[in-house]
Amino acid sequence: MSSIHLQNLVKKFGEFTALKTMDLVIEDGEFMALLGPSGCGKSTTMNMIAGIEEPTSGRILFGDRDMAGVPMGGRGVGFVFQNYAIFTHMTVRQNLAYGLRMRGLAKSEIERKVSAIAELLQLSPLLDRKADRLSVNILQRVAIGRSAIMEPAIFLLDEPLSNVDAAFRAVMRTELKHLQRQFRQTMVYVTHDQLEAMTMADRIAVMDHGVLQQVGTPLEVYNHPANVFVARFIGAPGMNLLKGRPAERDRGLVIDLGRLGATQPLPPALAASLRNHGREVLYGFRPEQTLLSAEGRGLRMPVDFVERIGARTIVHLGRDETAVKAVFENDVKLGEAVTVSPAEASVRIFDAATGTAIRAE
Amino acid sequence: MNATAIMKHRDAAVSDGENTAAGVTDAEAARLGFRLTLPAQILVLFISAFPLLMQLYISLTDWSPLSGIGWWSAWELWNNFANYTDLAADGRFWSALGRTAIVMLVCVPAEFLLGLALATLFMDEFPGKRFFYSVMLMPMMVVPAVAGYMFFMLFQSGGPVNDLLSSLTGFPVTVAWLSDPTLALVAVMIADIWQWTPLMFLILLAGLVGVPEDQIKAATLLGANAWQRFTTIVLPKMKTIIVIALAIRVIENFKIFDTLYIMTGGGPGVATETISVYIYKVTTQDLIWGYVAAIALAILVVLSVVAVLAMKRMAQGREA
Amino acid sequence: MAEIAFRNVTKRYGDLVAVDDVSFTVEDNEFFCFFGPPLSGKSTILRLILGLETPDRGEVLIGGKPVNDVSPAGRNVAMVFQNLALFPHMTAAENVRFPLVERRVPAPEIGRRLAEVSEKLHIGHILHKPPAQLSGGERQRVAIARALVRDPAAYLMDDPISALDARLREETRVELKRIQRDLGKTLIYVTHDQEEAMSVADRMAILEGGGIRQIGTPVEIYDRPASAYVARLLGSPTMNILPGTHAGSAFEAADGAIRVADAPAGAMEIGVRPENLRVEPWTEDKQGRPVKVFEVEPLGGYTVVTLESGQSRLRALMRGQPDIRTETMVALSCDPARVHFFGQSGGALGR
Repeated sequence: MSSIHLQNLVKKFGEFTALKTMDLVIEDGEFMALLGPSGCGKSTTMNMIAGIEEPTSGRILFGDRDMAGVPMGGRGVGFVFQNYAIFTHMTVRQNLAYGLRMRGLAKSEIERKVSAIAELLQLSPLLDRKADRLSVNILQRVAIGRSAIMEPAIFLLDEPLSNVDAAFRAVMRTELKHLQRQFRQTMVYVTHDQLEAMTMADRIAVMDHGVLQQVGTPLEVYNHPANVFVARFIGAPGMNLLKGRPAERDRGLVIDLGRLGATQPLPPALAASLRNHGREVLYGFRPEQTLLSAEGRGLRMPVDFVERIGARTIVHLGRDETAVKAVFENDVKLGEAVTVSPAEASVRIFDAATGTAIRAE
Repeated sequence: MNATAIMKHRDAAVSDGENTAAGVTDAEAARLGFRLTLPAQILVLFISAFPLLMQLYISLTDWSPLSGIGWWSAWELWNNFANYTDLAADGRFWSALGRTAIVMLVCVPAEFLLGLALATLFMDEFPGKRFFYSVMLMPMMVVPAVAGYMFFMLFQSGGPVNDLLSSLTGFPVTVAWLSDPTLALVAVMIADIWQWTPLMFLILLAGLVGVPEDQIKAATLLGANAWQRFTTIVLPKMKTIIVIALAIRVIENFKIFDTLYIMTGGGPGVATETISVYIYKVTTQDLIWGYVAAIALAILVVLSVVAVLAMKRMAQGREA
Repeated sequence: MAEIAFRNVTKRYGDLVAVDDVSFTVEDNEFFCFFGPPLSGKSTILRLILGLETPDRGEVLIGGKPVNDVSPAGRNVAMVFQNLALFPHMTAAENVRFPLVERRVPAPEIGRRLAEVSEKLHIGHILHKPPAQLSGGERQRVAIARALVRDPAAYLMDDPISALDARLREETRVELKRIQRDLGKTLIYVTHDQEEAMSVADRMAILEGGGIRQIGTPVEIYDRPASAYVARLLGSPTMNILPGTHAGSAFEAADGAIRVADAPAGAMEIGVRPENLRVEPWTEDKQGRPVKVFEVEPLGGYTVVTLESGQSRLRALMRGQPDIRTETMVALSCDPARVHFFGQSGGALGR
């Protein structure tokens, strides 16, 4: 069984707490992304799963085997480092064969497996090249192949695509996903790029400052973020969040955004849970779900900036605290004042003080 | 383009946060470099090249300080390579050479293995590491002549070494180390190993530290145990440093003199007469300096070959 | 006038031609981007502009004057490095002043320029702090201020934000664009990230193997790529480019799943961007062949649907989270006006 259970995992480096009480279950055969900004504790978590670091407290179980005291050489995990850690004094072939050589496999058997993995990762013509002169794209495939050839039940990848150029990244994402599907390994993937996590993962664990923020499928964290951090971090661009107070109006419960005026009425279920809230809230809506609306039926803001990035056009409205981004195809001019409003079902409300989402009843 | 103008350009470019070496062509830089190193080049010329040529000159003559003429007139005593043919037939020379080779083949590998073992130990933390580090380096700091005298006293029949052996083995040991031909050679080798293992230790420690840690981690994760990691990752990555260390020690050990001479004077008899001792004796006792020059040149050629081979390997290592 | 232009510039390193007969003009106050894969010559072009290299052939012009023989210090072009290279032992103000102090500019002039540049970049309130106490964004602005305090004709940036987290990159590129817009200075920018290039550039040049393949505004290049190569470089997911066959005056690809009525003679491949492919669940009344859904990637705001038709795989980009399942059949259609044709050598063909 190759599921991974992290129970009450804590990691401190002297005074600094890198990971605060992490509880997570990674199912057998699942592709789980650990997603978060630099310093959120995702790499530390992965290092502990691999055995490179020891937890300060808490347990790590592979299936039902407690991994305490099991050294990194004995855990049977595949690990791809961010900088690949390719053996630069060996050829590609020797790199791929290393693990099997250490295990003591017969030469012919090693040869066979090396050829197979090289074929799969399109490394066959490069097998006898010395590893120190190869481009980053190739090194990355060698790093993956070197671990994959061991057929580990658990595969850990630490930001493997961050050094690869943008064009190649998209190609490798698909390849990695197919690799995982083909071999059905439990894959844990550390990244700071939410697009990568959304594309590849079965589930995403969003982390910030050593704390797990939310675990869910890509659509779950996108559609129902548990708090403000997740709402902002997931999605390109992240969710718009405006401060305001719930206010009762004829048409229903709205959020009074002060200078920007009032929003459109909230859906009844959401309004119900907010009625007794009273405190300041954050009115959230995703740029992709923001539409141009008729005057008086939304927020009126000037167009500050337009980014045309091929398939998407990101319109930046307003500035500073009241800045809002929207993604729509209509032609707008810089400086022009437009009225925008989110689709009613896409509105999300968060408590301004704690940042947690307030769900509809 | 004068030097100050070039410097000004460089400074201005740097102050913009731009790349250094800006605004100066390769040719200008090379010319400036030549001019700046001229004093050092002249010095090197004087110290190395001139004596070498002088030595070559004298080695082709029968000159000696007793000849009554200045060395520059040595051509009067031209002997047409006779020194070199004599050298080839000189039994004492060849024995000395043989002894030197034996010393080198024992000492250098011993220093290497000991140094490597100690360096590996020093890769981990242990209590008192800093203290032991200083202690480790002390033998190298001792003046070789002083070390020679120290070991002379240590290896006396009634001296500390025999006392130590007596207490270890249980019965009295009164070995006359420095009077026995074989044991004297052993004593000299022990002294050399004691003094120069720290150098190997230092160089190899630097080499070990330079091995990329993440590659070692990767190897561990792929199932390599400590020995496998050592042989497949650490040692290969240290190849260049190992070559340097060995080359340095081979060349220096070949010339072994100070410590040895103080300890044994080359004795008993010629039992510990290495090539340096032989040259010294011929120079100071027989005074046939022409012949000595020939010996010294022959040794220089041998050691140069070693140095060139080592440098070739270093150049390879830098490309890899 | 601060245009920067290359006329037939070639630069070789031994056998390697790093820059191959390149010509372009960067207009005054333009945010110009050089974009291409690694080793396509982008950084060499920057070095040629700065004067760290001299061309083997051709002319580099700044402000209309040839500067091949002018040293970097004399070219009045400044560079902002990826690692910013701020002096850690000086305050922000001292950092910004540094280029002028070194040139022995009189103190009142230094004060004036410092005030001017710090106002433009909104760093007046942090000038007294050392770099260690500044945020990443503030440090970047100080580095830019230092480059600008000499009032250069243009400033250059070589891949300044690729080392940042994805989210920070998205925010910083907007910041950089805003700064350039407010400052009104020519900015020449190098990147290998296509989204970044399209977002910030007024105009951009696509580089490949040392040569320029196309110059234009991002929208121009996106909508009318000059070749299949350029078409593939911009846009994510990349354009679907499929070989096809002529059937009368029509063109068919992907086993008949794509069919366009009017195709120019000599067309060998057809290109359709994923966002221009319309996917609908298959019903009997739909025209054309049904196509199988191979994979569905929900990205939240968009969904990438990979379709399989015969030997070909196509990707479509759909807004939102439509209800499309894998292994189901769908109908594929596209707007004929938004289709690209490529000839034998990969060049785009007009219609």
